[in-house]
Formats: sequence, C-alpha cells, structure tokens
Amino acid sequence: MLKPNKFLIFSALGAFIFAVGMFAYTVHASKALSYLSSDPKACINCHVMNTQYATWQHSAHFGNATCVDCHLPRGDFVDKYIAKAVDGWNHSVAFTLQSFDHSIKISDDGARRVQENCISCHASLTSTLVSNADKYHTFDDSSVDTGRRCWECHKGVPHGKVRGLTTTPNNLGVKEVL
Amino acid sequence: MKKFKLLLVASLLAIVSMAFLTSNINAREAERVALNEVQGIPANASVSSEWAKYYPRQYDSWKRTKEGDEMEDLLKKKPQLPVIWAGYRFSIDYNSPRGHYYAVQDNVNSLRTGAPVDDLTGPFPTACWTCKSPDVVRLMEEDGELEYFTGKWARYGSEAVNSVGCLDCHNPKTAELAMGREYLNRGLEVAGLPRFEDATHQEKRSLVCAQCHSEYYFKKTEYTDKAGKDQTAMVVTLPWHEGLTAEGMERYYDSIDFSDWTHKISKTPMLKAQHPGYEIAKTGIHYQKGVSCADCHMPYTQEGSVKYSDHKIGNPLDNMDRSCMTCHRESEDKLREIVHTKFERKEFLMEISMDNLAKAHLETGRAMELGATDEELKEIRTLLRHGQWRWDYAIASHGSFFHAPEETLRLLADASEKAQQARISLVRLLAKYGDAQYMAPDFDTKEKAQTLAGVNLQKEIEAKMKFKETLEKEWHKQAKAKGLLDEANRKDVDLESSYFKKK
Repeated sequence: MLKPNKFLIFSALGAFIFAVGMFAYTVHASKALSYLSSDPKACINCHVMNTQYATWQHSAHFGNATCVDCHLPRGDFVDKYIAKAVDGWNHSVAFTLQSFDHSIKISDDGARRVQENCISCHASLTSTLVSNADKYHTFDDSSVDTGRRCWECHKGVPHGKVRGLTTTPNNLGVKEVL
Repeated sequence: MKKFKLLLVASLLAIVSMAFLTSNINAREAERVALNEVQGIPANASVSSEWAKYYPRQYDSWKRTKEGDEMEDLLKKKPQLPVIWAGYRFSIDYNSPRGHYYAVQDNVNSLRTGAPVDDLTGPFPTACWTCKSPDVVRLMEEDGELEYFTGKWARYGSEAVNSVGCLDCHNPKTAELAMGREYLNRGLEVAGLPRFEDATHQEKRSLVCAQCHSEYYFKKTEYTDKAGKDQTAMVVTLPWHEGLTAEGMERYYDSIDFSDWTHKISKTPMLKAQHPGYEIAKTGIHYQKGVSCADCHMPYTQEGSVKYSDHKIGNPLDNMDRSCMTCHRESEDKLREIVHTKFERKEFLMEISMDNLAKAHLETGRAMELGATDEELKEIRTLLRHGQWRWDYAIASHGSFFHAPEETLRLLADASEKAQQARISLVRLLAKYGDAQYMAPDFDTKEKAQTLAGVNLQKEIEAKMKFKETLEKEWHKQAKAKGLLDEANRKDVDLESSYFKKK
C-alpha cells in the first residue's frame, strides 16, 4: 500500500502530466498556432468574422492586403505582438462568453492602427491630397480624435457599407477552414 | 509536500478550466459542421414543432413570439373607434396585436368572430382563418382553394389549430421561402408585378409577409363543387387592380360598388382597411432602398458558430444592434428618438382625423333625424367613405408611421380634410333643418361610444363565454383526436382578452 505522501506525489505528477497533455490538445483544438501566422483564415477560426472575411475577399484589397496588413501595427515587431495579444484575448473572451455586439465596431486603438496603415500603403496618394487639401483633412495627424478617418468618406472600403451579419445574407456557415 | 499539494491543485484547476474551454471550442466546431449538412423534412408540416428537429434555433426564436403578450383594448384607448365603426363588428372588440404565437387564440377570443354554436353559424366566413394558421396552407392543398373559402368560419374550428408558423412561409421539402396562399400571386398579377416565383430572394423576404399583412376583401365567387353542387366561395382578394395605393384601391372598390358595411349612424356605405402593411411599406424609404421586412423584423443573428435569421418577429427596436445598427451609424438613442418623434407626429394627425370623422357620422345621423334626404347627403357620404378609408388605411397596419411616415401623414391629412369638408356641408344642412347649433354628443369613453354605436357588449361577452365553454372545447377535442393539435404550443395563450383576465 502506498504511503499517503507517496500517493500525493504520484497523483500530483499524474495530474500535471495530464494537464500538459490537455494543454497540447487545447492548443490543437483551438488552432492556437495559426494565430502566429498572417493567414486571413485564422481570423475566421471563431466564425464571427465570416462576414468581414467574405466582404474583404470580394474587395479590391483581396490579393493586396490581408487582415493583419490593415489591422495590426506593421514594421514594429513588439507593437504588433502586443496588439495581437490584446485583441486576441478580447476576442476569445467575447466569443467564448458570447458577449459581443452583432454589429461589431472597431475599437479606438484598432481605428488608429488602420488609419496609419491606410496612409502608409497609400503614401503617395495621401501626400498629394495633403498638399492640396490640408485645410480640410489632417492626414498628417495620426490621432483619430482630431483627424478624419479615411473610411468616413471611403465607406465601402473594404468591408462594405453595411456592417454586421446582414452584409452577407447567404453566408450561413464557414466553408473555408484552416 | 507542500510543493506537491500546490502542483496537484494547480494541475486540477488547469484541467477543469481547459476541459470547459475545449468543450466550448468543440461544440462550436460541431455547430459549424452541422450547419453545412443537409436538413431533413418535417413529417407533419403544419405543426411547427415538427420542424424543430431540423431547425431548432429558428423554432426556438419563433416560440419566443410568445413574449409579445401585451394586449391593449384599443377601443378603450381610442374611444372614437366604436363611433367610427358603428354597425361593424370592429366596434365591439379591437385590441392591439400580440405575437404570432397567439394568432389563432386571439382570432377565437375576439368578440368580432361572435359565438357560433355549430359548423354553420356565423357571423364570418372561413376566410377569417386565412392568416392565422399554417393549417390553412394544408387545408387549401387538401380541399382546394374554393372549397376552403366556402361556408362559415366555425367550419374549420377543429382544423385551424396551430398558430402562424413554419409552413406559412417555407416549403417543407427544401425549407426555401414559399407562398402557400395563391391569392397573393393573383394580386401581384393584376398589379402587373412579378409573381412570387419570379421575385428575387430579397423580395420574397417581404412577399411571404405580404401574404397576410396586406389589404384584402372577400370576393363572392360562384363555383360547382366536387359533388356537383353550386357553391359560393368568399375568396380573399387583394384589390391591387389599380395599383397599390390608397387612392388606387379606393377607385377599384368604387368601381365594383363594394362596401364592407353600411354605417349604423350615418348610413354610409363604408370601407374597412385591413392591414396594408406591405403596400404602405413599399412607399417608404427603407423598402425603396431595398430593405426587406425580414431585414428588420427577423434580423440575422449569431449563436456560437451558427448564423440564422431570428424568427421572433416583433418590434425591431427591441434589438437595434442587429436590426438598425447594421446599416445606421448613429447612436441607438438618437435613432430611437427619431422613431419616437415620427410616432408622435402620426398620433397628432390621427387624433384630429378620428375626431372629425366620428363627429361627421353623428352629425349626419342628426341631419337624417331632422329629415335630410339621401340626395342631400350623397356628397357628404362620399366624403365620409373616402375620408375614413384614408384614415383607416394610414393606421390599420400599426407600423405605417415608421414604414412610410410621409405617406401616412399625407393620408391622415387628406382624411381630416375630407371629414372637415363633410362637416362644413353638414352645418349648412343642419341649419336648413333648423338645428345649426347641433353639437355631437360626447364619445370620450368606450362605454359612451359603444352606446352611441348601439353595441350590446354584455350580450356579446355572455354569448362568447358560452361558446368558449362548449364549441371551443369541442374543437380542441376533435383537433387532438385528429392529431393536428400541438398542445405544448397552445400553452398560456388563453389567459387574456379585452373582456377577461385569468392571469
């Protein structure tokens, strides 16, 4: 018969090994590693983004820019992964608890990032605009609070004017998966 | 030892939380796979719970129309109504509508449908079931449309027992949008519009609603039944021959000399607007921009991995996030305020037109007492008929103030104008017969108004209660024996009407 302390040691080790195995399984089931990639399909792992995926896929940005090209800070590795971790945490909590709004709105931080990315990709265009129309727009000010955002006028870029599930009426289930 | 205790506790905690998380993830994945699978075919399609096996979320949300259980006695709220509808059964009982879940029971409970004692007693024809139940779709298919529209309402008391449900709008084999009531296609045809089958999917998302939320009348149709006997059917008919406008329908009704009833006080041949929700919505900005009924009243919703259309049809303001906010980029509060203002504007003009119409009827009645002739009253009665039609058309579909505010206000203003025109002529006429000072009596409570309209409410209630104890119980028994009645879906439907409260 095992001594009580030996029993404790064995069960603690057993539980630990089981937890490690379980962790590996969780990583696998949640496709956690895919979030390290920049594949847009990773963004529809949780199904809520199907609409955004479908509208992007049929837009002019498809083939030129992926989700992360617009939505994450580019260039700075640390910034990018901080943003990814914060967004990822918020998204997974919202999806697991089903606590999100159905007409998903971008966060202020997210809007700032997208605005910066619009400008960085369309630099030559925006610089011409700035030189012509800096009385009306403040493109050089990346802070969203004071500057107007690109998509206030370019409403359909790239997700369409209608937001939420109505945008893609027939897109009932995910056909594309990682 | 302490280290191992800590390790054990931490590991167990980690296992439990990861178990919850993985089961959640796997459940979502299973939903995703299931959603893309082919669904089955419900066996007994007029019973909505049969569909629940394949469309559980749609069914559950449909069932939640039960939550729309508020019923308001509108005759009490707007005591002009019994005077305006004097001589018509609407002056006896008229309530705000409850959710689809209650449609059958509210039809049975309404004092309007009277107290039949057998299959042959009135007052209404079978047509009064037409929009209440998916059993109607079944009956039209089994018996034929003309046979269905023959005889008295009570004839189908034991057949039309399931409330507005799946089969009303869906093909049971494919679950695609479908129209079970052929008169809609006939209406579309005379209006020069594409038939249901030729409409786009987005249009179908409104047309299935238009099967019922439209203006209609019962057209007398002679035919010979299967046994070779001559019969008369009262067929639900959409009066869209001259277009889908109030004026167009009025022209059509005038051209066939149609009237729903003759007003008890003013002896005017009247029209009763039913609920031209579809027609009015079509003139409004949302419809013109391509928004369908379902977009706002059945918004797409998401549960886990599954996206589906919410079948709890009701007020879109109850879930603005899924209805309004998918297109509008203002705040919810601001939009709500805009809608409220639209409603207030409608109430303002509605009250004025109702007061004028009710008084014009009473003044016409007085002129007749004093000896005014039909010839003298001819124009006045035409103004009353047309004015009241416009008022009724503008408000009978409830949401019109929102669906098409400009059209609604235009019609109410026109109704008021016509009633005022009638009243100016009436002053002249009353003066001619020596009572220029005549003031119409008060109708500021339901009781006063119903007395003026000659309604014996007590008698109606007593007869109805007796019917509920006898024939209605018999209907239930027969429906159960035939296997048509889904009792679970008749639960708590009979707790309230304008004349009883069992809650």
